[in-house]
Amino acid sequence: MSTERTQQVERSERPEQVERKENVVGGRTITRPEVEDFLYREAQLLDEWRLDEWFTLFEEGGRLEVATTDWKGWDSSSAGSFMCDDYDLIRARVKRLKSRKAHAENPHSRTHRMISNVLILEQGESTVWVAANFIVHRYRDGGTYTYVGRYEHVLLVEDEGLRFRLRRAIPAMEAMDAGARLSFIL
Amino acid sequence: MTELTQGHPIASLVEEDGEALSFRVHRSAYRSQEVFQTETSRIWGHTWLYLGHETEIPKPGDFKTRTLGGRPLIFCRDSSGEIQVFLNACTHRGTVLCRFSEGNTKFFQCFYHAWAFSNSGDLAALPGDDAYADVDGFRERMRLRSVPRIASHEGFVFIAFDPDVPDLLTHLGKAAHYMSLTARIGPAGMETVPGVQLYSVKGNWKLAVENAMDGYHFAPTHNTFVGYLRETGFAVTDDDQYAYDLGGGHGLLILTGHNGRIGMVWEPRFGEAERERTVAKREEMVDRLGSELAAEIADASRILFVFPNLLLFDLEALTIRQLEPVAPDRTDVRAWQFVEVDEPADVRALRIKTMVSFVGPGGLATPDDIEAYEAVQRGIEATADSADPRFDWSDMSRGMANEREGNQGRSIDEGAMRSFWRHWAAVAGRD
Repeated sequence: MSTERTQQVERSERPEQVERKENVVGGRTITRPEVEDFLYREAQLLDEWRLDEWFTLFEEGGRLEVATTDWKGWDSSSAGSFMCDDYDLIRARVKRLKSRKAHAENPHSRTHRMISNVLILEQGESTVWVAANFIVHRYRDGGTYTYVGRYEHVLLVEDEGLRFRLRRAIPAMEAMDAGARLSFIL
Repeated sequence: MTELTQGHPIASLVEEDGEALSFRVHRSAYRSQEVFQTETSRIWGHTWLYLGHETEIPKPGDFKTRTLGGRPLIFCRDSSGEIQVFLNACTHRGTVLCRFSEGNTKFFQCFYHAWAFSNSGDLAALPGDDAYADVDGFRERMRLRSVPRIASHEGFVFIAFDPDVPDLLTHLGKAAHYMSLTARIGPAGMETVPGVQLYSVKGNWKLAVENAMDGYHFAPTHNTFVGYLRETGFAVTDDDQYAYDLGGGHGLLILTGHNGRIGMVWEPRFGEAERERTVAKREEMVDRLGSELAAEIADASRILFVFPNLLLFDLEALTIRQLEPVAPDRTDVRAWQFVEVDEPADVRALRIKTMVSFVGPGGLATPDDIEAYEAVQRGIEATADSADPRFDWSDMSRGMANEREGNQGRSIDEGAMRSFWRHWAAVAGRD
């Protein structure tokens, strides 16, 4: 199913495909370990609720999406989703989640993220399209919730590192289980 | 008197004393398995239920499967274009007939013994049917079972498992008008889009109804969302916001100080292009509908509850939300974005972004509502079988004095919750 979904990612969001023999993007070589480091580092920031630092991982104008469980590759601007934040909304979400008035996350959930199966799918002049699998365990109020799915991100390659142009999580579950709301960053 | 729940007949779980300005609900109404079973049979078994919207299955052969009132159903459009709703169980042995959540087909074939039914319910083929050749009318008797009643209003499809319910418009009563207002927003009509939010909450379904009919919680619960709106240049107020009892358990909040409405009431976060379009759209609506109806549709936001399982959020944009009780402490929720047919792509994008950022389990507001119902569901365990029985009641008396003076109830009062509970007690507590 994931392969099928991957093929259905809308063309406009894919990095412009460029014929290359090596992983040269944005004037330098990009490797899977670099992408893995970026994703692991991000997971650590989220698990530690270091949201201001996490927000700096987005380029200005970056987007955050969480697809619904019936997702078939459609564009989040034409169909429903769980989250489809533009840059201003990501900032607003970070501000909200840092507030003690964000009741759904006060106290914060304990989250624990595992990321694997990292792949570089396509590369463009300055961006790279990557995929990874995730399992996020969330614990709160005696409840345990498991979120399983796949990331498909478009990352901007800069000299100093990588940043999100599009951060998309695609749940693998048939529905969000009882209590498995998306009050945190999936 | 009927079932006793912790010593209380179901009708007495809602206790009202107008003189004393007292209205309270016994907390076993949210906890008790016995109450839940009674609701399943008396409410879900004998009331019109919202199933889905016609635009979910636009083409002949389109189908969706979903569970309503605990019963698996097939919601489909047959090859002649008629809407059909079948119990999703093979008439032979009861196997779930269609195990896909959606698709398009002329036939539903049971995998177990390969009986095949047309999308209008005929038993079209079965292997070795000569074995039944001597049985009169066998195929006719083994047709797929339709739900007893199917009707739609403005594209909203309702079903009833009881053949003797009154007609749909009688059930909807005054709620029908408000559904019609929403249906007229778009010049080419309204439709659902794919991308359905399927989630489940650890709370009784009635807590979700209360929450939607409760303007009192908005400012404290949604403090961070109100703060976000203020930062975008829009001040939220509780003034000029009212709650209406529409009869039959249906309720309505009409909100004017709450938020903008895409295409109808501009606010700064919608952007300058949308500001111009809002002026043009109002002209279009006045031309099409007349100024009075256009104003009624456009000027105020509305949250409509249609008893027992439909919430229609007509706010910045539109969400249809359906409640499906699974257990006393668990409710499955399905939510659709509801949009104008043929609207420009940038408006569609703005609409979806704005609505998803507010209403839905990943929005800036709904997670705090879910936190509220789940925290109530956990909290009411504290007073179960309490040594002092007075502790095990929830208070819903706010605004009763105002109500008794004959004033229109405000959204921040609890009048819409009271009208829901009065109807609930009458239906679930019926002898």
